[in-house]
Amino acid sequence: MKNPSNPSQQAQLPENPLELFKGSWKTVLVVAVLFVAFTNFDVIVDLMINIMIFIYGLVGKNFGLAIILFTVLIRVLTWPLNAQQMKGQQAMQELQNDKEWIAVQKKYAKDKEKLAQEQFRIQRERGINIFGSCLPMLVQFPILFALIPAINYAIGSGPLSILNLSRRLYDFQNAAALVPLNSKFLWMDMGLPERTEILGVGIPVLALIVALTTYLQSKLTMPASASPNDQSAQTSRIMSIQMPIMLFLFSLNYASGLSIYFITSNLLGIAQYAATGRANWRSLLPGGDKSTPAKK
Amino acid sequence: MQKKKYIVALVLLSIFIAGCTGPSAWPSLSAGGGVAYLANTNAVHAVDIATGKELWKFSVSGGFLGSNPSMFVSTPVLTETGLLIVPDSGNKHILYALDTNDITDDKTPNVAWTFSNVKGHWVAPPLVIGSRLFAPNSDGKMYVLDLEDGKSEKSAIEIVALSAEGQTDRLWAQPVSDGTRIFITSLDHRIFAVNLETYEIEWESQLEAAVPGAPVLGADGMLYVGSLAGKLERFDPATGSHESVKDTNDWIWGTPVAEGDNLYFGDVAGYFYSYNTATGDWNFDPIQLDGAITASPLVLEDKILVATESGDVYSVLEDGSGYEVWYHPDAEGKLYATPVLSGENVLVAYLQSDYYFVTLDLDGDVKRAFPQK
Repeated sequence: MKNPSNPSQQAQLPENPLELFKGSWKTVLVVAVLFVAFTNFDVIVDLMINIMIFIYGLVGKNFGLAIILFTVLIRVLTWPLNAQQMKGQQAMQELQNDKEWIAVQKKYAKDKEKLAQEQFRIQRERGINIFGSCLPMLVQFPILFALIPAINYAIGSGPLSILNLSRRLYDFQNAAALVPLNSKFLWMDMGLPERTEILGVGIPVLALIVALTTYLQSKLTMPASASPNDQSAQTSRIMSIQMPIMLFLFSLNYASGLSIYFITSNLLGIAQYAATGRANWRSLLPGGDKSTPAKK
Repeated sequence: MQKKKYIVALVLLSIFIAGCTGPSAWPSLSAGGGVAYLANTNAVHAVDIATGKELWKFSVSGGFLGSNPSMFVSTPVLTETGLLIVPDSGNKHILYALDTNDITDDKTPNVAWTFSNVKGHWVAPPLVIGSRLFAPNSDGKMYVLDLEDGKSEKSAIEIVALSAEGQTDRLWAQPVSDGTRIFITSLDHRIFAVNLETYEIEWESQLEAAVPGAPVLGADGMLYVGSLAGKLERFDPATGSHESVKDTNDWIWGTPVAEGDNLYFGDVAGYFYSYNTATGDWNFDPIQLDGAITASPLVLEDKILVATESGDVYSVLEDGSGYEVWYHPDAEGKLYATPVLSGENVLVAYLQSDYYFVTLDLDGDVKRAFPQK
């Protein structure tokens, strides 16, 4: 039997991982959505294809616009989850200047396990659910994994893509009249990786824009940190480098329609965060991601 | 240090995942002089049909991180002089003429010429007429080249103009000719007749849906095409006047094959049809097989071979009185390409299989497979 008055026991991570989700119905919902998504992957892919093609018909057979509007739709649907994520991030941001948080980091700088336990205790005492803030981000993964084949099926440039597309369209879509879809948007063929010829060299302009907007979004939403040893801040910094690289490589090789999704999603994410007034614009400057340590 | 490890691991993972983009096209086969020519994704292989050994291979490097690979999906076309015309469907937009009489020591054919002054992908196999090559491109133009050097015979014939959205409606099928005109279908739901000498478009006709297959000239002198609207359409080659002669159960993807008064073709619901151009009716009720039919049937002396997506090849009696599985592959694989007859051999190319293609005798027994295990 645990004694809640005993600080050493309070600091322990829960033996039952499900305890992390306690009290957060949104978290449970996200886990359920993830479970359903990964166990019914084809259903999700088909749904995405049909929504995109339905929008495509509405906007005058422009698949670029269809992807942009589809991204807006996804953003609207995941708005509550994103809001929860931002709320969690804000709480984490505020925590960086919390006296106890800073003291714990100094005290247990050399004992990472103890530090993690103490940080978890503080987060729990402040009502911060770390999973509540990162799980909404995980919702993006099934969307992303489903979107790659969805775009390839919808606007793939090969015969097999068209054949497969015909099998995935719902009955109400007139597949025979629709195909082949117009895959041109601006200077791109969205069924293919984008390259822009500059002085005879194929430059992946879209992939670079994806990397840039991903980096900007990561930096703007990254909480300022008071301590260089702060693990969560370190993780954020790593993520702000990892994600742009990862999405750049995706964009380099996958259909440029996917890049349109990334860029739109990033810009909407930045706009949504800026609208809350919490965007950390200073973090775009060199050394701007460090805040002044709180006074004791 | 840990941070660097994270980033390196993530970059490697991303490269791996990004490299997992599969091909979106199926292999194509042709044969001539006892050699099979296989266009298979990133390479063209020449294989001695008698021994199953690879004679040579042609491939082109793919650029930074393999992001701009060549893609050979179109049926290679062998000319009388030994040039093998292989369109590259990748982003480089190059049409290669390989000299099969000039193979280097590292078993690669010398490139006789290339043509790349185009804006779209090469998907359709070109048509050789005399010394001219008629090569349709996805930019909506058909290029007329001199077979000798690949130079343009004239400025390209604009078959389909750019749409308002900038989309070029794709020319995916090999043209056919009746000696005075050349006929070509497009994915923008149309068929065109071009004068073989003046290169002027004589007529064009609008259909309900795209036509990925080529037209075929029937014994009655009429032109037939199957469309994704699930209709067999008949055209007067001189005037372009047309009518739908039969409805099918689903999309007609492959090019119908004419043999005497009969047209043989399949649809993607797996139905096989035999249409009599003299009577204007089916020769027998459509036969449903076990998978989508995207390939053209192969007509043999006593039977018709029909390839289905499931990987099985069926033999159907000419009068439709019977059919059976003629060849069932041991390995997994999908079958989209038209089987090819070469002497006493039938070649069948597979996608997503251990084998690129198998060589069968006329009874459907496997002689050998490529690559050899």
